[in-house]
Amino acid sequence: MEIAYVAVIILFCLGIYTIITKKNLIKIVFGVTIVESSLILLLMLVGYKPDGTAPILDKEYEIVVDPIPQALALTTVVIGGSVTAVMLVMVIKIHRRYRTLNIDEIRKLRG
Amino acid sequence: MEAAVWVIILPLLTAFFLGISKLYFKRIFFYLVTGSAIIYLYILIIVITHSYPPKVYSIGDWGLLGINVMVDPFSGLFLLMIAILFLPFIIFSMKYNKFLKHDYFIFAYLMVAGISGMVLTTDLFNLYVFMEVSTLSSCALSLYKKTDRGIEGTFKYLIMSTLGSFFILLATILTYYLTGTLNMAEIPLAFEDIPFKIKSTMMTLFVFGYAIKIGLIPLHAWLPDAYEDSPIPYNVLSSGLVLKSAVYALIRVLYIMFGIDFLDESGMLTIGVFWGVITFLIAHCLAFQQSNLNRLLAYSSIAQIAYIMIGLFVGTEAGLIAGSFHILNHAIMKGTLFLVVGIFSYSLNAVEKKDIKGLGYKFPILSFTFVVASLAIVGLPPFNGFMSKWLIVEAALEAGFVYAAFFILVGTFLSLTYYLKVIVTLYTKNEEELLIEEPSLSLKLPTFFLGSLCIVFGMVPSLPLNLITKIPTFLLDNGDYIRILLGG
Repeated sequence: MEIAYVAVIILFCLGIYTIITKKNLIKIVFGVTIVESSLILLLMLVGYKPDGTAPILDKEYEIVVDPIPQALALTTVVIGGSVTAVMLVMVIKIHRRYRTLNIDEIRKLRG
Repeated sequence: MEAAVWVIILPLLTAFFLGISKLYFKRIFFYLVTGSAIIYLYILIIVITHSYPPKVYSIGDWGLLGINVMVDPFSGLFLLMIAILFLPFIIFSMKYNKFLKHDYFIFAYLMVAGISGMVLTTDLFNLYVFMEVSTLSSCALSLYKKTDRGIEGTFKYLIMSTLGSFFILLATILTYYLTGTLNMAEIPLAFEDIPFKIKSTMMTLFVFGYAIKIGLIPLHAWLPDAYEDSPIPYNVLSSGLVLKSAVYALIRVLYIMFGIDFLDESGMLTIGVFWGVITFLIAHCLAFQQSNLNRLLAYSSIAQIAYIMIGLFVGTEAGLIAGSFHILNHAIMKGTLFLVVGIFSYSLNAVEKKDIKGLGYKFPILSFTFVVASLAIVGLPPFNGFMSKWLIVEAALEAGFVYAAFFILVGTFLSLTYYLKVIVTLYTKNEEELLIEEPSLSLKLPTFFLGSLCIVFGMVPSLPLNLITKIPTFLLDNGDYIRILLGG
């Protein structure tokens, strides 16, 4: 179990590192999805019980996993998917206009 | 069903039917948008007038397991802001946008649905979901002009705000892990047994996430870029509602979940006030250098939200009242300024400071409105900005934050300098003859409405203060809030 939490921490930090340091827009979007998947993994772990089965209300199944984090994970997947889609749309638009994905060359704003 | 639930459902439904009308019935578009906005205003007024004492609406009779919606005076204030800003926004945008109106209004309604959901919900995960709804549709609106700068700024906005959401989501998941619930009434009860250090870590995650969304100074870089080339009526809602809703969520989470005692003990109140002071000093200095009016107003927004932070973080009753009053006033003042700039950019394509030279003589009444609103935002009597700033200074002095009170006065002079620069440019004689047609009534009416509110709320501050003075009861002592939510 502990190893799974370590994996969450590594994935989270890796994603944040990717977003902060990479210059390529596609790689930044990758970083965002990595962070998102680490959080979904964390949600799964929060509800997990050893030997637990699917949450079905029946006497046959005594140990069941917590269903709420699974519902939350589903919502997070949907939100993450739409955010990634919008980001990729913008990446396509930027590439058509600037002919580059390097963040240093995309500078029409003076900020 | 109860009216408070319709506050969330109606904009969602309208967005859905606008999508259908785009495909099949193009003719009813105008009636659908304005009619729905008027009905929405009516529902909002009903809900606001019933916001005291607070009520809980349980959807589907599931009790605490299901989705609960709660109206208390603090959320009533935000609904009041939607009521004031939304109809002028609709009327202004009808004329301002020349193409693709359907998409624009679909996203505008979705954004308002997200914001009203944020202020009404009592569930931590729903708060996150509604925040994402409002952020995504806000990004779509800011992208609407499809210019190079607009896309670049929006990409920054989306990356930064997604990063903020991740920290908030992480904190939400950890809260569930520690307490086993997401209901805002049950969390504080379960939080009592949790060690101090773990609670501090959770609070840091929440504060960091929301600080990105609010745009406090080291994390502010996306904000002016997102404003620079977006449709100007959207900027009114963005600075008035989207940023404020993040402030709302932060205050709700800190005051209800952690409680005022913990905030005091962990030093969060001092940090909040200090952060606010740093933010507005730097934001004023940065605003001074800007030549683009949108960017100037964006930096001014950052500074004003720092004032709000100071008011809300001094942690006394007077501070909460002052901060909440400034939330309302800033929405109105900044709305007026943006709408005037919007009219200039509509009729002359003028968004740079040099373009508006001499317009004070071409549009006398509009320019006067601009002057009124900018003097109000600087904080001169007898306008509304003066009232709330004065209350913030008073509350800071009373709570012992003398340096905050002093620097607010310094900040007033700093903001006076850059607003005076704009006003002087506005009234400098211009030799060129400009052929300008008079802007139509649907552009001027919303502007004058918001401009006159600046004066009315300055002269008769008791109008909004009737609602606002009830806010601290349910924030300072989270026991009342919890009792109502558990009992309802």
